[in-house]
This record gives sequence, structure tokens and C-alpha cells, in this order.
Amino acid sequence: MIARLVLNGRPREVDVRGNQTLLEMLRDTLGIFDVKEGCDEGVCGVCTVLLDGRPVSSCLVLAAALRGRAVVTLRGLELNGGLHPLQEAFVRHGAVQCGFCTPGMLLTTLAFLEREPRPDREAIRAALEGNLCRCTGYTKIVDAVEAYVRGESGPQ
Amino acid sequence: MTDAVATREALRVVGRPVVRHDARDKVAAATAYAADWALPGMLHAAVLRSPYPSARIVRLDTKRAAAMAGVAVVLTARDVPRNTLSTDVPGQTTAVGPLRATLHVLAEGRVRHQGEPVALVAAETLELARDAVEAIEVEYEVTPGVFTPEAALAPGAPAVHGTGNLLAEWRIARGDVARALSGAKVVVEGEYTTQLVDAAYLEPESGVAWIDSDGVITIRLSTQVIEHFRDVAEVLQVPHNRVRVIGTYLGGGFGGKEDVTVEAYLGLLALKTGRPVKMVWTRQESLLSRAKRHPYRLRYRTGAAANGEIVAQQIELLADAGAYAYLSALVLLYSTVTAAGPYRVPAVEVDARVAYTNNPPTSAMRGFGAMQTVFAYESQMDRVARALNIDPVAVRRVNALRRGDTLPVGQVIETHVAIPEVCERAWAALGPRAPARAPHLKVGRGLACNFQPYGRIVWLHDWASAWIGFEMDGSLVVRCGCPDVGGGQASSLCQIASEVLGVTLTRISVHVSDSALTPLAGTTTASRQLYMSGNAVLKTARELRAQLLRVAAPMLGGDADELDMDEDRVVTADGRTLAIADLLRECARVGVPRSHLGVYHAPAGEPVDLATGSGKVFPDYTFGAHAAEVEVDTETGVVRVLAYAAAHDVGRAINPQSVEGQIQGGAVQGLGYGLMEEVVVEDGINLTTSFATYLIPTAADVPDVRAVVVESGEGLGPFNARGIGEPPIGPPAAAIANAIEDATGARITRLPITAERVARALGLLG
Amino acid sequence: MYPFEYVAPDTLDTVLGLLREHGDEAKILAGGQSLIPILHYRLAKPRVVIDINGLPLGDIVVENGRLGVGALVRYHQLEESDAIARRCPLLAEAARLIGNVRVRTLGTVGGSLAHADPAAELPAVMTALDARLAVASPSGRRTVAAREFFTGPLTTVLAPDEIVTGVEMDAVPGYGWAVEELSRRAGDFAVVAAVALVSLDRRGRVDDARVAFGGVADRPVHARGAEDALRGREPTAEALARGAQAARDALNPPSDAFVSGVYRRHVAGVLCRRALTRAVERALGRT
Repeated sequence: MIARLVLNGRPREVDVRGNQTLLEMLRDTLGIFDVKEGCDEGVCGVCTVLLDGRPVSSCLVLAAALRGRAVVTLRGLELNGGLHPLQEAFVRHGAVQCGFCTPGMLLTTLAFLEREPRPDREAIRAALEGNLCRCTGYTKIVDAVEAYVRGESGPQ
Repeated sequence: MTDAVATREALRVVGRPVVRHDARDKVAAATAYAADWALPGMLHAAVLRSPYPSARIVRLDTKRAAAMAGVAVVLTARDVPRNTLSTDVPGQTTAVGPLRATLHVLAEGRVRHQGEPVALVAAETLELARDAVEAIEVEYEVTPGVFTPEAALAPGAPAVHGTGNLLAEWRIARGDVARALSGAKVVVEGEYTTQLVDAAYLEPESGVAWIDSDGVITIRLSTQVIEHFRDVAEVLQVPHNRVRVIGTYLGGGFGGKEDVTVEAYLGLLALKTGRPVKMVWTRQESLLSRAKRHPYRLRYRTGAAANGEIVAQQIELLADAGAYAYLSALVLLYSTVTAAGPYRVPAVEVDARVAYTNNPPTSAMRGFGAMQTVFAYESQMDRVARALNIDPVAVRRVNALRRGDTLPVGQVIETHVAIPEVCERAWAALGPRAPARAPHLKVGRGLACNFQPYGRIVWLHDWASAWIGFEMDGSLVVRCGCPDVGGGQASSLCQIASEVLGVTLTRISVHVSDSALTPLAGTTTASRQLYMSGNAVLKTARELRAQLLRVAAPMLGGDADELDMDEDRVVTADGRTLAIADLLRECARVGVPRSHLGVYHAPAGEPVDLATGSGKVFPDYTFGAHAAEVEVDTETGVVRVLAYAAAHDVGRAINPQSVEGQIQGGAVQGLGYGLMEEVVVEDGINLTTSFATYLIPTAADVPDVRAVVVESGEGLGPFNARGIGEPPIGPPAAAIANAIEDATGARITRLPITAERVARALGLLG
Repeated sequence: MYPFEYVAPDTLDTVLGLLREHGDEAKILAGGQSLIPILHYRLAKPRVVIDINGLPLGDIVVENGRLGVGALVRYHQLEESDAIARRCPLLAEAARLIGNVRVRTLGTVGGSLAHADPAAELPAVMTALDARLAVASPSGRRTVAAREFFTGPLTTVLAPDEIVTGVEMDAVPGYGWAVEELSRRAGDFAVVAAVALVSLDRRGRVDDARVAFGGVADRPVHARGAEDALRGREPTAEALARGAQAARDALNPPSDAFVSGVYRRHVAGVLCRRALTRAVERALGRT
């Protein structure tokens, strides 16, 4: 069957199996490794994509069910071929260790900030509660998001 | 105490929070992890695992599975050229005696734990491979199993292996414990229980293998140990130089990727099929069958004098090795050496045992046996303090080891011990006490300190090597076998090379973790990598620098000793400069190499027989202290961590931001251990095989961790650094337990500290 | 996963026809948050997966003092809908507790009710509200009271050829409401959840009380005893505590590998008292 979607701004039609997930389509068919596979049950968040602007677990979406909707992965954030300021903030604040959770964290953060542009640290933590990280202990991730919200470029 | 700030030489790059090169790649998802790899004609692999914890394999028939369309091969034990995997202390070439353990690649005739691998499939798609696994016909005859170490060591218990179930025992006896206890002002007795936990890295075990030119079986995978190429070669019965392991940047390791995981299967399947093969474990599979952290029963009798000084510790440890030894004997050794805590104790008895059971196997995990003991010794310390009405910081100060003191095992402490300082600073970093928000919410504070060995056991003769070379344009290449688990291992090596050779950080490229192409540096485990490969790079860079400056000296007129390397130039004392590219051209002209291969040998020692002798076991230790403020809901037992601080003496922080990150990450992993993580196994059956049931902390479960980086300027690593990978995971569980007692008077002695356990301890459940 | 036939019909009749044809060899795909993990782990292996996301079941309708929520309304819509905020804010509060943000993007009301996890929030909320589920089958339509819909763990009265198309409840402006939940970890599914709705008469006494629990039995529990204990009474702290105690005493929760029945029962009492307290404060207009 055909999966129909707008992927990172470009309309796409992809040959998929009926039982193929969006995660599998992105990685195995299209070679897009922005999304990772961590648990296959929607808990860990490393497979996060934005579907019509909202975060979803791509491991729990069937590719054939997309019906032309908009899907954004990490490379969809790039600005003029460079890093998005939120990505810069993550780098500068040490919010990246092994990096496996990072794409999911970034997408979830941006979707959240669209709805709540000036959150405090507690609200940031609540917003990221569904994205597991095993390396950083979360403090520097919150630092990075807070700095981005304040429009700062690097750690003070 | 050495004032590191006053005596530190002016450093340019080391000591700065530089941005890591891998961080840029990772935010852009440009890093190719082990599963982000595909080759033409690649097959997909799956494993058939035993559903029973103890059984004989009566019948195993793979014909139907092998005949399925799209299935390339189905393998069982008889297809493995050498079906024995030796889990040596990895990376070592020296004999390791009782620390050596063996297991099978695929089960032979019987299975000893749920999840034990029985057969292997490679097929055109992952779906077909899983279908084929389901089509393998296997009949088991369940046999009696044993599911606690106590039961395993009781007379008449079913034997997990041919031998008895006691896998290893270590003993320390010093001074007259009985007499000291009888003369003590207080004796605190406690029995503590720690649980089975999983490393739960977000990246599951993954890899791809293929046969490269000249028949080299190449395995690209997520691993903390590339030296396993030797183990794979033995399994495949091919020469060691025909197996190459390429370690990718890991999506987390924490000790769970220290043993052989997918390598042997991938090598086997690539060899048998002649095609590339990919294996990625599901989360369920990883939670089910990957080796875990040893659960412990820890019994302590601690005697103290009126002034709080500990006069004796009588300690009994019993750990669960699960079905296979893996690194259990070594883990137990770490527990034995650290069991009495970072304290001066004149009389100590430690009796430590680890037993086989039919539970999931246990092996390396961050902290490695020196972590479980912290829960016990710091709970005891707190109880002693309470019994004598002494404050928690004071009791640690009174008892802390000092340079020149001797550990129970007989090792003399040779470097600074920062226990008093880290305790005071962690405690102070909590800030003003939070008021209770409601009458049923009680607030309390707890302190716990620890010491964690860094570097390998000294009689294992640890070493690491590195190669550093200039390109003709002055850019630098560093090659080192050091796997990068996400803690900035590779980036630190660049910082060190930049410091010594004066090369701008952005002009350095580093290649790590390839057993054929990078000089071996040993495992990224045991908090040893900065110490070992850091020192290897430091030594190599210094030797290269000397080599080059000998050529530069006549070019600039003067002594090589008076030259410096900075900003990609050689500089004289009076400010004249020579561009590095010009120097390199001269080196080429006179035939002096622009590169150097160096080896760092850790100071070695003689083996110590813990039962009879004593002596130096570990090169050194990292000392730290954590402080926690908690709020306990006295109606439900729910514990909220309000504030948390963690202080460690790291000697010198090569990259302060990375050091803080390790401290914060380790502390949160420790909080997970303390509050919520548990692999629940009943009669050998694992009930927590998904992330819905195996719970690790989310951002909403923990507060900011205030990392306090203390730099004593003393450590055995490069620029006097100490290892920081493992130490921060030790104190949290005890800090929380101590804080809960402070808040409510209830002492919890079993982990994890769930709301129900607190509720029970508060008497809420009748 | 394993091979199944994927179909995405446009009309309810087509869906019902497929259900009649395939019976329990077919599974309905709505939000997918419960179904897809089951398929990944091969815990169920339906031959056909029927994607119903194309059906027009995503509306929130207010009519004649009743609130109708279509089966395909997503959890995040419950959080964000004005109509729900005005007519039944309890649904918004409950929705906020469900899963994580990704689950709330796609998970559906109908899916939660049909899946019938004994610890899930929405089954308990619908039980408290005394809501009525609209059920469609090839042979017609029927309505089932939420209080009769759940028959066991992951089990409902639905026949293999039936699907939930929506749920209807009284709009309850003027009621105070609260959901109290205890979980093993922040944002996790509930160990125990207590749902309370309270309305007060002009004298300030409890006019109507609706109380239900999740996570204390093999299905949501309607705490009739607590409701009876509270009706007509002044909502003092003592009265609410007695009501909560009555609710708790009627429970006999099971134990599992992680949490004991004794603890669940104790927590149910505490959460019920807290939910009633907050519901009363809201009814009094204090919060």
C-alpha cells in the first residue's frame, strides 16, 4: 500500500506494508535515522516525531494510516542548513551525553513551547516527563531549554 | 588539603567546559549508532530464548524453521565451532585466576535461566526471522530450580552447575571485632536488602556484522569493550587477527554492554551465511535476558564509641550471581574491599559470598559491587549518629579516612581524602530548608558519602595505548581504542592532546574504538577510561612534543626546554614563533616522525589473597557525598525529592561541564535505584520486561541535581584527575533513606523505597 | 510485527460489515496506543486491523444539558475543549493525568473505554459520571451504562461485532469535581485513582455525589456506599472522611507483583477523602 504524508515539508508517497510502522518506514525504507527505536511501546520517547505539530510515538503509528498528514523529524528543524537555536542551546549547556534521547527531547520541547512560550523549570520538567533520559539526569536539559526560552546563547 | 586553585599551572584547554565534538553531531542526529547501519544483502537475526528458568532440552528441531521461505540459516549449539565464551576480566591479557568464568553461546542440553539463548535465526526480514523463531520446535522438561542465594546455599539444594552453588567467597579479618563490639558504647545491627536492576540504556543491544576483505569478520556494534574480538575469534575458531570489532558511539552502557552481547551471534551468522547480518534486541528481550546488577543481602553490626568513632564493623554479604558467573567474583571483591565505607575502622570482619541461582544472570553495572554496600554502610552511619545524638556531617568527619590510613584490606591510602569537605559542601548546597506544605507532609534531610575505586585492580597490570600524529597542514589525529559511552570520553582525549601540543581543539580529529585500527586502550568501565586512555594520550602527546621540539630548537636557536606549543605554533620564551606546518615540513626533511605511539602502564602490584594477606587492591578511590531533602506524604508514603546536591572530589576536572553531567546523571540513576527501579522475578520468571513495568526516573520525578565539583589537585589520571563515571551512583539510595528517617523516624532497609514500603514503615497498613 | 491485513473504511457501516465478517479475528485501530504494542509483542495476532480513524466520530456536542463525546475524540482535545471546560471539567482534569504527551495526542476516548484497563482514568471517570456508551453493531444500535459496561480486566460487554461510537453524560456545571491519583512514578498509569463529583443544595448540603475508583478491582468501582453516606449531609471534614471510609471499607483490591491489595485499599481511602475535599471546595466556588 501507499503511505501518504508531508515529510519535513515535502509531500511524499511511499510504498509500505500494511503492518509497517511510521518508525520502520522512516528508518528502514527512507534511511532517515533522526528517529530511534528504544522500546516499541511508546514509553521512552526516542522515536518521537511531530504529527500535525503534536508529538507522537512513531513506533505506534502505522505508516499506511497517515492520510496525508504532516510529519516532522529532527532534520525538519534545520534553519538555513544550520542548527536551530534550541539545538545550539543543548550543545552549549552540556545537555547531550549519549545523544539517544536528544532528537525526541528537541521535538517535544519545540511543540510544547508553541503552546506555552514562557514556562518555568517545573513546567519544562512536566512537559518532558514522557521523554526518558538515562545519562544526563535532566538538569542540563532543563538548563538548555530555559536558556533558549530566555533567548540566551550560552551558559552564563 | 592542597589548594588546587592556587597551585594549578595555567591551563589553556583542560579545565574548561569545552563543547564536545560529538554533541554537535548528536543534536543533528548525525551520529550513526549501531542500528543506524545497513548493507546490501543484509540479513536480520533473532534469538530463540528459553521460557523456563531451569529445564532440560528434551527435543530441539529446527527443520521446519530452516525450511521457511526467506530463512537463511537456523543455528543451535552444535553449529557453534567453540560453544564456550570465557568472560575474563575483559581487556586483560594477564591470567586472572578465580575471576575467569565461562558460559555457552547457545544452550547445550539444558537451560539455567529464563531467557537463556537456545537457537539463532537469520532471515531476509526481521519479521521472517521472528516467524522462524516461533517455528522452531523445542520441548523442555522442567527441572527443580533454586531462586534465592540462601536456598542455593542450603544443603540439598539443586546444583545450578556441576559444582556446588557457592561461586566465590572473599574474607577480610582485621583486629578483634568481638572484643571491640563488646566494648562499644553503641552497637547498631542492620540487615539491608538491595534489588535486581537493569542498566536500561535507551539504545538496546545492537550491531551489524559482515565479512570484509581478506576474510576479516567485522562487527560494528554498541559495546564498552572492543577487546571481545578475541572472544569472538575463539568462538568461531578463527585467528584473532581475522575478527575486527568497531565500537560505535553508544546510546548508553552503564556496564550492561561490558560483556559479550550480540557479537558472538553476529560473527557466527556472518560466517555461516557469508552475508551481512543485523541484530537489534527488543526492549523486552533486553529487559528479559541481559545481565543485571547483583542483588545483595547485607548484614552489619557496627560498634561505635561515645564520640562517634567506629570501633568495629562485622559484615556479612550475600549476593545473587544468577545462572552464570560472568563478572560476579570480581563484583564481590569490590564489595568486600569497600564494605566498611570510607572510614577508619580498627577492627573489621567481612564475609562475602555470591551464589548461583536460576535467576537472571548478574554482572557488571555502574558501581560494580561498591555501589550496593553504600546503602548499608551509610544507613548504619546515620543510625550510629542518631543513637549518639551526633549530627550527620560530624560523624563522617570524625571517622573519615585520611592519607596514610589503612583500609581493612590492608591498602594504605596515598592520596587526599576529601570526605569532610564533600560532606560539608553537599549539605550546605541544599540551601534553606523547605517548609512543609501541609500538616501531613513531613520534610527531612539525609546525607550519604561513598568511595568508589577507579582504575583496575593493580595486579591485573592495566595498560592503555594511543597514537597521535600531525598531518602536514598541522591538523592533528588522535587514535585510541577507548569506547565512548556518552560521557565525553573521546572529547576529553582531544582536550588533553590540545593542551600538550597547543593544537586548536577544532583542528583535532579523534578516532576511537576500532580493534583493528586504533591502539587498544582497554574497557570503558571501572571508571578507568579517563585515568588510562587519558594518561595514554597525555604520555603520548608529551613524547611527541619532545620529539618535535628537538627539531624545532635549532630552527629557533635555543633549548628545547624553553619552547612552548600554543595556538598551532611553537613559541620561544621571548615570543618568537614558528608555524607548526613549517616545523612539520622540517621533520619530514630530516626524517623525524610526526607521530608517536605511546603506552601507559598503570602502576602494578602483586596479587592479594584477601583471606590471609593484605595489600593494595585498587590504584585509588574517588570520594563523594550527596545530600537530599525529601517530603514524605505521611498518609500515603509517597516520597518527593525536593532538593539534591552531590559533591565529588575529581582531582581535576578535565571538562567541568562533562564532570557535572556525570555527577548529575549518576545521581539520578542512583535515585531510580533508591526509589523505583526493580526487576521483579518470581521463581525465576521475570515480571518486568517492558518499560511500562520497569520504571526509570523521568524529568518530573527528580529535582535539579546541584553538582559540586571539588578539585583537590590529587589523582592518578591526567592532570591529577580521578575517575567520575561510577562514583555518583553510590550515595543516593542511602541519602534518601536517611532523609526519610529524619522526616518521619521510619528507617527503610529494603530497596527500592516504594511508597508502599514507606507506608508500612509508618504503620499505615496495620 | 507480523503480517495482518490493514483496512481503513470510510463509513461506520463498512466497519460493522467487516466486524460481522471477521468477528474476533479483527481488531479495531483507533489511537493505537494500546493495540500497537500488543501487536509488536505478538500478544494478539488478529488477521485484520480495521483503522476507524476516518469515521466522523470526533465531535464534542452539547445538547439539552447533555454532553456527547465521540469515540475518536483524543485525550488532548478533552484537555483543550471549551465545551468540556464549561460543562464537564472533570474530563479535562482526568485527561491531563493520562499517559504522556504522545499518548494524549493520539489516544481516544472510545479506545480507552473499549480497552478497559482496570487502572485507567477514563473508565473510572465515566463510572462516576454515570455516563452512557453508544454501541453500534451490524444489527443495530444500543446504549450501555458505563456502570454496567466493564465486566473484568480488559473485558467489556462488547460483542466481537460491536464498537463504541461515543459516550454521553450529564453536563454538570455547578458540580465540584476532582481526580486524585497515586502512581509508582510521575506521569505513570495510576496504581489507584479516585474520582469525585459533588453538587451542593442551597443550604450547602450535599445534593448529589458521584464517586468511583480505578485500580482497586478488576474493573472500575462505583462507590455507591460513599455516595449514600454523603447525600443530604453537610460536607464537613468529618463527613467527607466518613464517606471516604465507607468507600474504602467496601473494597477488596487484589495484590500484584508490585503493589499489595492492602496498600491499594488504604490509598483508595486517602485519595477518596482528598478528591471529595477538593470537589466540595470547587462546588463552593473556592477554587
